[in-house]
Amino acid sequence: MALLVALCLGSAGARAGEFVVRSAATGLVNQVHVLDADIDFKFSERALTALANGVPLTLRMHITIERERDWLPDQQVAELTQRYEIQYHALSGLHVLTNLNSGASEVYLTLHSALRALGDVRALPVIDDNLLEPGAHYLIAMQVDLDIEALPSPLRPFAYITPAWWLSSDWYTWSLRP
Amino acid sequence: MVVATLKRLTAGPRPVAVVLLLLLASLYLMSAATQNSAQFSRVYSLLLALNGTALLLLVALIVRNLVNLLGQYRRRAPGARLTLRLVVMFVMLAVAPVSVVYYFSVQFLQRGIDSWFDVRVERALEDALELGRTALDSRLSESLQFTRQLAIEFIGAPESVAALKLDEVRRQGNALEMTLLTGQGRVLASSSADPTDIVPSMPNLAVLLQLRQGMDYAALEPTAGGLQVRVVVPVTEGLSSEPKLLLAIYPINERLSSLGESVQAAFGQYKELAYLRQPLKFSFTLTLSLVLLLSILSAVWAAFFSARRLVAPIRDLAEGTRAVAAGDYDLRLPLPGRDEIGFLVRSFNEMTRKIALSHERANRSQRQVEAQRAYLETVLAHLSSGVLTVAADGSIRTSNRAAAQILGLGPSTFDGASLSDLAVAHVRLAALIDTLGRFLGREEGEWHAEVTLFGPAGRQILICHGSPLPDGGDMRGGQVIVFDDVTALIQAQRDAAWGEVARRLAHEIKNPLTPIQLSAERLRRKYLDRMSPEDAEVLNRATHTIVQQVEAMKEMVKAFSEYAHAPAVRLAPMDLNVLVTEVAELYRGDTRMHINLALAPRLHYVEADAMRMRQLLHNLLKNALEAAPAERTVEVKVSTTYSDTGCEHVELLVEDDGPGIPEALLGRLFEPYVTSKPRGTGLGLAIVKKIVEEHGGMLSAQNRPGGGAAVSVRLPIGSQDCAARLARQLQERRA
Repeated sequence: MALLVALCLGSAGARAGEFVVRSAATGLVNQVHVLDADIDFKFSERALTALANGVPLTLRMHITIERERDWLPDQQVAELTQRYEIQYHALSGLHVLTNLNSGASEVYLTLHSALRALGDVRALPVIDDNLLEPGAHYLIAMQVDLDIEALPSPLRPFAYITPAWWLSSDWYTWSLRP
Repeated sequence: MVVATLKRLTAGPRPVAVVLLLLLASLYLMSAATQNSAQFSRVYSLLLALNGTALLLLVALIVRNLVNLLGQYRRRAPGARLTLRLVVMFVMLAVAPVSVVYYFSVQFLQRGIDSWFDVRVERALEDALELGRTALDSRLSESLQFTRQLAIEFIGAPESVAALKLDEVRRQGNALEMTLLTGQGRVLASSSADPTDIVPSMPNLAVLLQLRQGMDYAALEPTAGGLQVRVVVPVTEGLSSEPKLLLAIYPINERLSSLGESVQAAFGQYKELAYLRQPLKFSFTLTLSLVLLLSILSAVWAAFFSARRLVAPIRDLAEGTRAVAAGDYDLRLPLPGRDEIGFLVRSFNEMTRKIALSHERANRSQRQVEAQRAYLETVLAHLSSGVLTVAADGSIRTSNRAAAQILGLGPSTFDGASLSDLAVAHVRLAALIDTLGRFLGREEGEWHAEVTLFGPAGRQILICHGSPLPDGGDMRGGQVIVFDDVTALIQAQRDAAWGEVARRLAHEIKNPLTPIQLSAERLRRKYLDRMSPEDAEVLNRATHTIVQQVEAMKEMVKAFSEYAHAPAVRLAPMDLNVLVTEVAELYRGDTRMHINLALAPRLHYVEADAMRMRQLLHNLLKNALEAAPAERTVEVKVSTTYSDTGCEHVELLVEDDGPGIPEALLGRLFEPYVTSKPRGTGLGLAIVKKIVEEHGGMLSAQNRPGGGAAVSVRLPIGSQDCAARLARQLQERRA
């Protein structure tokens, strides 16, 4: 218990991380609404230390599309979660960024370049235009966070009680009218 | 039904044991997950939350048990003290060793995890990694140098030629893939060793940026198939033309690649493990703590459960004893098992069963007794005879309605009364009570007695039959008395008997008298004149005697007929003093008798027939006169008095100074033809008695101490109640 308290207190002084969705917008390309977004990923010191020690970090990008209705609660039309894993490869000194949804990996010389590539979302297909009702109002929300459940199990109890591990952006929302 | 089934399934130790086993399994899974087992790692947080919640529930369960137990302890519920003591004992026994084990386990755990890490191992791994890097760096440099040289060959080459040349160059350079790109990353030509790989591998944006800055890109990239070298170099053609890029991917020697991956994996795992040292310690300690808590809480709960199980039969026994004491014999305790307590409970159940059986038998007997009692009461109530049971101490235990009716008492007079109470409250019952008193305490033999009462309804003759009560209880020496009012019966029998006598006298005696008389007179008329004077004298005397005696016999038969066929009594209120005075006045001139009157002033009226009462007084005075010697004057005293002993009545007393009544005749003085006098019909006192009985009165005769006889006539006062009863009784008698 003392250990737990010490770890928690220690975390209070550590550099806080921050995820911010700077901008996000959708555009129609070949009858598919695609997402362009700029996201800043700034890890906390604790997360950076873990990454440097070979702990893979999983980031999630949540996107929801809800139809706004006048007299009824909003109806969720679609929900999309993109999961990315970033891991330090000690032998090559590279950071490997893997899209867990597709399995595609990219390697980056620095963490910074990897996070910048991750935050530079371009033409991510979100929803087919046919699934949307023309003229209706839709609300798209987006959020990115660190998946604590993907951390090694011994680290999870700490992560749940340590603010340094609570890395999450606010929901960024915008309207869409097909 | 469903609720009952659920309740049955969730009650008892089984469900809790199952929950505890599940918790244990969950803790095992958590422990496995802590060791980064891929299988359970995903559900680690869920297991942690589940275990935490379960433990909290267990704590809540224990707190509830504890609160209940303390409440029972305060209420001094049976078994609470013993339960608390057992719980404390069990908890102490469980907590102490588990705590010791926990302390040492934590110590071993900390040291065990620390022992995983060794500086030398870490150093060796770092060296191995460095060695790998060095080995691979040379390969990287070679590849970069080689690619730069190849890039020169593409300078100035048209795109169509470059495409053909690219495949040749790739084969020459033994590359896996080679792609010619524009500076913007557009593919101009591509060649791959794998014919199925039609999509060329593209450099990412960061690489392109690096190249735009004039720097080459060479990196060792991990892929799914192992390590490979990716090199991107610019193809410099001049400032005017668009820069091109040559991307080449070279394989790493398979052996080197696998060794490198192995080193990378070992180093990565060690590094991660070293980083997770504290969290690992925490996780293991957490798991161990949860196991400890589970053990302790399970032990505490088991302590509660065991204590309850142990104490339950004892508590049941205590409550069962209370219930039996309160009269509930149907209680059956649940059998706790086959141990000694079970034997005790079985014995208790057997005892209550036998008590219940005995109680049921007793109840049945009581019901039978009550039924018999009710039957007897019904029989008694409908008996025309009066029935009394009297204890040896004189208290009346049982009576029936007829008893009260016969004795002229209220229906509840006998309730809780004793003979002495009755004697005080009802003096007229003295004769009966005296008779009963004589027989109380006798334990053998039946007895019979005739008791004459003088009450509001007049003279009453009771035939009493008594018998000692059977032994047992407090009725020892008591008597059961059955009595009947035979007044009317006796009167009716006598009336019937004398009626028959009168009829026979009229038929057998009176009828021949007239022919006898006529025959005697005829003899006299026919032969008197013809006979000699001497014979005529004899005949005259004889016939005269015959006629005289026949006349006397006729008178006698007439008197007897009058006695047997007395006219109906016409009752009316009358003053007895007036009657006595009138009758005495008739005898004033008679020298043979001197009458003294002693009349009570303001005497109550009596309901009586004046004619019959006059005859009664005449007969008494005549009897006194005839009983006395003819040579002297008889002194007769006639007195009237009022008395309210038992019932209000008036007494007429006629006393004379004659020879008195012979002792032999005292018992049957008032029967017909019982007389000691030389004169009279022998019916005078019988008629007196008949008149008295017709009036519901009472007649008695006795010798005076100074000589002479005294005849007493007691007549009930004509109060409404008395008169009504008198009249009713008289009518019944007549009927």
